[in-house]
Amino acid sequence: MSEFLRSYLTVAIFGLVGLALVGAFLGLGRILRPDHPTPQKLESYESGVDPTGDTWSQANIRYYIFALLFVIFDVEAVFIFPWAIRLDAYGAFGLIEMGIFIFILLLGLIYAWRKGVLRWA
Amino acid sequence: MLAALVQAGGSFSRPSVDWHAASPELILLGVGVLITVIDVVWKQRARSLVVGLSSVGLLAALVPVVTLAVDGTPRSMFGGAFVVDDYALIMKAIFLLSAYVVVLMSTNYIAEGDYWENEYYSMLLTSVLGMLLMTSARDLISIFVALELLSIPAYMLATWRKRDLKSNEAGLKYYLMGVFASAIMLYGMSLLYGSAGTTLLTGINKAVSATDKPTAVVTLGVVFVLIGFAFKVSAVPFHTWAPDTYEGAPTPVTAFLSVASKAAGFVGLMNILFVGLIGRSDVYQPLIWILAAASMIVGNTVALRQTNIVRMLAYSSIAHAGYMLAPLAVVSADVVFAGGGSVVVADQALRATVTYLAIYAAANLGAFAVVIAVARKIRTAEIDGYQGLFRYAPGLTVLMTIFLFSLAGIPPLGGWFGKFRVLEALISPGTAWGSTLALLVVVNSVVALYYYGRVAVKMWVEEVPDGDMTPVRVPVSLAAALGLTAVATLAFGVGPGLIGHFTEVSLLAGIGG
Amino acid sequence: MLLNQFLLLAAVLFCIGVYGVLVRRNGMLVLMSIEIILNAVNINLVAFGALTDNVGGEVFALFAIAVAAAEVGIGLAIVLLMYRNRRSIDLSEADLLKG
Repeated sequence: MSEFLRSYLTVAIFGLVGLALVGAFLGLGRILRPDHPTPQKLESYESGVDPTGDTWSQANIRYYIFALLFVIFDVEAVFIFPWAIRLDAYGAFGLIEMGIFIFILLLGLIYAWRKGVLRWA
Repeated sequence: MLAALVQAGGSFSRPSVDWHAASPELILLGVGVLITVIDVVWKQRARSLVVGLSSVGLLAALVPVVTLAVDGTPRSMFGGAFVVDDYALIMKAIFLLSAYVVVLMSTNYIAEGDYWENEYYSMLLTSVLGMLLMTSARDLISIFVALELLSIPAYMLATWRKRDLKSNEAGLKYYLMGVFASAIMLYGMSLLYGSAGTTLLTGINKAVSATDKPTAVVTLGVVFVLIGFAFKVSAVPFHTWAPDTYEGAPTPVTAFLSVASKAAGFVGLMNILFVGLIGRSDVYQPLIWILAAASMIVGNTVALRQTNIVRMLAYSSIAHAGYMLAPLAVVSADVVFAGGGSVVVADQALRATVTYLAIYAAANLGAFAVVIAVARKIRTAEIDGYQGLFRYAPGLTVLMTIFLFSLAGIPPLGGWFGKFRVLEALISPGTAWGSTLALLVVVNSVVALYYYGRVAVKMWVEEVPDGDMTPVRVPVSLAAALGLTAVATLAFGVGPGLIGHFTEVSLLAGIGG
Repeated sequence: MLLNQFLLLAAVLFCIGVYGVLVRRNGMLVLMSIEIILNAVNINLVAFGALTDNVGGEVFALFAIAVAAAEVGIGLAIVLLMYRNRRSIDLSEADLLKG
């Protein structure tokens, strides 16, 4: 068998074992547990109160703006990690460079704050 | 992944930065940041200050461009990823001047429309910063970053009228097409990087031209990269976004997209083609030939039946993209590496495209400035609205005629010289393919005369439909934009030596020419 | 090292992404398809980088990730704008501009 196929055989075995384990646990649970469904039990659980509305509901649009800001600033951090690891080698030059980078990012955040994007109302 | 980065950074030595060479970009970045700071501190109260600041910033960035040009020595930084040579400088000057004219055109339009002014100018400057970077980028990463830096603000500018459904749609189409194109281009770049093992264009050139026949990976890489840039310069069949986006976007933004953004696409394409892929002409020549021919033919024939002047100019700009692509279709490694006089052929193609870009920029910006001025009165961009323009706005009519006839290529206006250089570059290699393309350029220029001429007839001959003869009020800054573009268009036509002198550029110096 | 698997995976993802962009009419799904293409690119870049023992690929991938985030930010904003103005993100309804 070629190297190519052999490495895929490993993947296939891994997948099969995974499926078998999940099947075994779920099957075991089904055999062992008692099964008495009532309408109350089938209702979706909503922290103890009676469930209202549809299961499909729209999230508030404001979450989106926070999520967006988070994603952008979060992703920019990928440039900071490699820099932080090698900070000793880069010295003052690297510190100033990263300072400029973070300043421009910070400007974006201040901009969002001044334009009232961060206010929840 | 991070571990690999850390290992590779074993010994770090501070890169030497040539501050003089980087100063146009740094000035623009500084002004852009300053505008944001002003906006954060004073908000809308600082609007008039911001307009002035952005025009001053653009002109200030032009100063180091001139001093670098006077100095004349090519400069290279970051291992050859950032190069400042004559070609980069002339393109930087074109971008800065076009952006300055766009700022002049925008001043009243944006202020009267009650749009977000401070943000508008900082987005515009950011986009121009991306274009300046693009002229000097000689590395896949910097080309990609420059391309995104110039495109992302442009998507926002196209959508600038937030409540207007047409503007939304224009921005959405531009965004989806643009991002799709850059994703495809990025895939092509990853293949080129893989086959060369380096992101530097000079290294890619060595790797891809090493063998007699291209490998499948290289071919795919070249094709995908070309498709990406074809979207950016709106070449047929990747042009569908352009007319819709041009019509829906605010008109000054349309002018900016049709001139500066298109030129930036060409700059990126030429950087990759001449510095990185010139050895693989067997792959890119037929593709560019088809793109150029299709753009000319489709652009001109569809422009014939447009009733909206902005859409007509959009299709005409697609046709012009075809003319500008045409010289690139005759560039090949044979003529470069054969030595002697043949380097001239490839350089000639580069110069033809750069010359055409400069002349097209002046005439097209001017035409859009007239459209903005006329729309202040007639409130529409339908060509029928231009009936009898000469009766009440003779000055604007004369200017519009100058710009349209320059685009058509009638001497003594700038356009003829651009077409002349293109034809010269196409015919001089003496190949059948080149001559066929030259023939297509000539035939298409004749077809184009019809639709430019039709607008002229509407303006000069016909009567005003509603008899409203009140003159068009042209604000000072818009008049300045009109004046600058008209003078440039006339100067290019009467003294072609002027632009010819500045466009004596070469990209091949470093790679065995 | 087995390069082919990575390239194959990237090519498959690329094709799925392109198919999605061309066929889907929902703005969100088109954006997601574009993200799939960009991820295909990143796989390619990192695989080539590891093969040629050259950090260029990893650095390129970092830039691609960061730029893609900015791009998607703008894209979501534009799609959201369209939703606010016309209560739908069906791209085939965006047909005001024609000619």
